[in-house]
Amino acid sequence: MEISREFVQELEEIVGPTYVHTDPVDLQCYAFDATFEEWRPDVVVRPATTEEVARVLRLCHEARVPVIPRGMGSGLAGGTVPFPNGGLVLSLTRMNRILEIDEVNMTVTAEAGVITADLQAEVERRGLFYPPDPSSIKHSTIGGNIACNAGGPRCLKYGVTKDYVMGVKAVLADGRVFSAGGKPIKYVTGYDLPALLTGSEGTLAVVTEALLRLTVKPTVVRTATVVFHDLDLASQAINKVLWAGFVPATLELMDDTTIHTVEEYLHIGLPLDAAALLIVESDGRDEKVVDDEMRGMVEIFRAAGASEVRVAKDEKEREALWKGRRSVSPSLARRRPHKLGEDISLPRSAIPEAIRRIKGVAAKYGLPIAIFGHAGDGNLHPNILFDRRNAEEWARVQQAMAEIFAIALELGGTLTGEHGVGIMKRPFVPQALDPVAVEAMWRIKRALDPHNILNPGKIFPTDMKV
Amino acid sequence: MTMVQPQVQNVVQELAARISHDDVLRCIRCGLCAYTCPTYRVEECESMAPRGRLALVRAVIEGKLELSPRFAEKFYDCVLCAACTSACPSGTKADAMLLEARHVLFDAGLVPEPVRGLLERLETRHNISGEENAGRLVWCSNMEHAPTGLGRSQAETVYFVGCVGSLFPMSFSIPQAFSQTLDLAGVEYALLGGEEWCCGYPAFISGDVELAREMAAHNLEAVRQAGARQVVVTCPSCYHVFTHVYPELLGEEALAGLKVLHATELLADLLESGALRPAAVPIRVTYHDPCDLGRKSKVFQPPRRVLQAIPGLELVEMASTGANSLCCGGGGNVESSAPALVESMAGRRLAEALDTGAELIVTACQQCKRTLSSAARKRRLRLRTVDVVELVWQALEQTHSGGSR
Ligand SMILES: Cc1cc2nc3c(=O)[nH]c(=O)nc-3n(C[C@H](O)[C@H](O)[C@H](O)COP(=O)(O)OP(=O)(O)OC[C@H]3O[C@@H](n4cnc5c(N)ncnc54)[C@H](O)[C@@H]3O)c2cc1C
Ligand code: SF4
Ligand code: SF4
Repeated sequence: MEISREFVQELEEIVGPTYVHTDPVDLQCYAFDATFEEWRPDVVVRPATTEEVARVLRLCHEARVPVIPRGMGSGLAGGTVPFPNGGLVLSLTRMNRILEIDEVNMTVTAEAGVITADLQAEVERRGLFYPPDPSSIKHSTIGGNIACNAGGPRCLKYGVTKDYVMGVKAVLADGRVFSAGGKPIKYVTGYDLPALLTGSEGTLAVVTEALLRLTVKPTVVRTATVVFHDLDLASQAINKVLWAGFVPATLELMDDTTIHTVEEYLHIGLPLDAAALLIVESDGRDEKVVDDEMRGMVEIFRAAGASEVRVAKDEKEREALWKGRRSVSPSLARRRPHKLGEDISLPRSAIPEAIRRIKGVAAKYGLPIAIFGHAGDGNLHPNILFDRRNAEEWARVQQAMAEIFAIALELGGTLTGEHGVGIMKRPFVPQALDPVAVEAMWRIKRALDPHNILNPGKIFPTDMKV
Repeated sequence: MTMVQPQVQNVVQELAARISHDDVLRCIRCGLCAYTCPTYRVEECESMAPRGRLALVRAVIEGKLELSPRFAEKFYDCVLCAACTSACPSGTKADAMLLEARHVLFDAGLVPEPVRGLLERLETRHNISGEENAGRLVWCSNMEHAPTGLGRSQAETVYFVGCVGSLFPMSFSIPQAFSQTLDLAGVEYALLGGEEWCCGYPAFISGDVELAREMAAHNLEAVRQAGARQVVVTCPSCYHVFTHVYPELLGEEALAGLKVLHATELLADLLESGALRPAAVPIRVTYHDPCDLGRKSKVFQPPRRVLQAIPGLELVEMASTGANSLCCGGGGNVESSAPALVESMAGRRLAEALDTGAELIVTACQQCKRTLSSAARKRRLRLRTVDVVELVWQALEQTHSGGSR
């Protein structure tokens, strides 16, 4: 993509020369996200206001320059990588003000570039609570969370990002600004545009502000780890817990490969002969209610065949129990130089079968695959560990990945639960979605972005042309 | 100091030889380190984040990027606070690689102009200020009682003052306070005067390893000439370089038979044994961990023990503290090339301090004191910063003069 000197000057007039970057050194820093995809943009622009975003988009719309919105670049789908033709990376990190906290209606209005952890800390100072908790809260933005519909361990009980987006201010591809949604909890006047933008991965509009729903901060948390020697027993136990009416705040699962990898790294005495390790949490504002819920769940797990249940007695023990889960990523990174973290999402009942089949894939291709994820909602992260510099190994990884997607689809699941399609899962979209549905999505995309300048090359299968 | 002209190919090879591809690949580009990186949090751009800086090293090694002055800038505007390394879940030693990159850039002659000036001063004057090194003891001249170390050339202990305390009038109060405290406690010590050279850290982190080595060798020789078995320092960078860099430059045996202490380690013992009895200082303070002393040398407790030994004093911690402490912005020699950046970093630290409700920031570093004080002045904040040795001396002076102040 050729970008003219005049075009750069116009950008400089809009946001100021300090915030337009064309030096290869700066461009290289915006060539990647948290995947290993790498494509250098032609220019990086860092606006400070919605008005600046609008003017930049108007310019790009006229010049047909691709615009790739970017938060903190923690995405796991290559969504903010300027693939395949470069273009303009629109970094929203300077738009990081919290505009309003409405304590009565329990909402927060914030600019898209606010770091999620900062927003959480700010509302928690007032006893309020923004529940969506991707593990990347410290390195992702509200805009990125909305664009990917981020979820986290708490989402079985509290829901994912989309359950908290009440309104947005956004800029269309041609530079027109619109607001949609508002503070009323019930709001059916017209299409739900905030919902449409949530999970749209920067392909429909650039979100510049969000109005988010808040709840009251839970003050009591109880944590337990539960060990099973049999995956089916674990799965049945989880169903029994849910059928009994309990809604655990967290229900995380680690498979045996994950347990082994973490144990090798930390030496904290994880059960090496277990098939699954669960982390279960109960939270609320009443100590007795929370204790009762935890006790009830523990009883069910024991009766359903758990070989070990440990409930943390205090904050220190709670930290210790979480330590294993928190160390999954780093311990995997130490084992092999690269990892491909998949994000398949399944009906809950299919979890044991999916894990068994993925283990078959690991054996077939001779690749370690660690599986962990959110057992309560069926979202699993099979992580394939490898060295990308070895071409033959990389080829095996790609085959393994395709088989994992096939397994998810066969079992009634889908490609991705929270990371998004981005570049990497595009080829599998035709298998995953109804062709008419893909066509409908593409029509929406074209209606809002007729020249396909907003994050082109993402989500849609390669043969979709403007 | 010899300036080699840029020989790009050689430099790329040099970078690849000194920073292994495996080490950079350990960074999985998750981006978490940006959250704790003081330069990122001020500029909010990826080229000011650890991940971005590592990506640049990697791109050069992989042949995707050429070296340029802009490339060099990205390494010389990092304060080398090591917050990235301490936050990284995958065990990436980011700060070590960023420092290594400076060494390679120096060899290639790609050092930014202000840093070059600093290196010239260090080479010709053996100190960072550029004044005659013989004047290192001027801080003693207007003291009521001259420090006993002034006339002593031989002692068990050498008090190594460091460039800032020796040559910057604004910081004279630190060696003045500490020397009087040593005298009060009856510790015999020698001062090296003109034989004390810069510790070598500014040269080392600017990339001139040879100059740093020369300074290290000279200083250790001067300490041995004084017959000392112990060196005590008030400057965290001196402390870090003596304990962590000298062995790297001169071999582990270079420090044999020599103990290196930070002033707070010595003071904590003297206060707890009752050798020093401070008067009550009934104020609420917060302690700012200097990066070179805390995160990079793991001295967290001694300064806190010192503060807790002062009766009536209440210590409150900031939101980021200890190993997670936020840099004041004064590290890495960034000040000379990007003063506004340093000022903004200091502003973020001041905001954390204000949040604690403390009336005073205590640190254990003349540089942190300078950076935080001047940012507070600019912002018209009434929050002062003092070095812990100054606070201790203030409390001792009160006991001494019968609490009349
Ligand atoms: C270690 C690690 C753990 C993670 N854990 C989780 C997890 O538990 N749950 C989870 O859901 N995700 C997780 N992620 C993935 C990632 O953090 C999320 O997808 C996050 O929402 C991305 O936010 P970001 O600000 O980094 O966006 P980026 O990566 O910068 O962008 C992601 C996508 O959003 C688009 N976008 C960004 N901002 C805007 C905007 N303002 N308007 C329109 N489009 C925009 C981009 O174009 C891109 O398509 C994890 C990632 C890492 C590295
Ligand atoms: S250095 Fe560590 S924390 Fe920073 S991006 Fe790389 S892996 Fe993540
Ligand atoms: S050493 Fe400090 S300033 Fe430098 S990259 Fe790491 S965190 Fe940022």
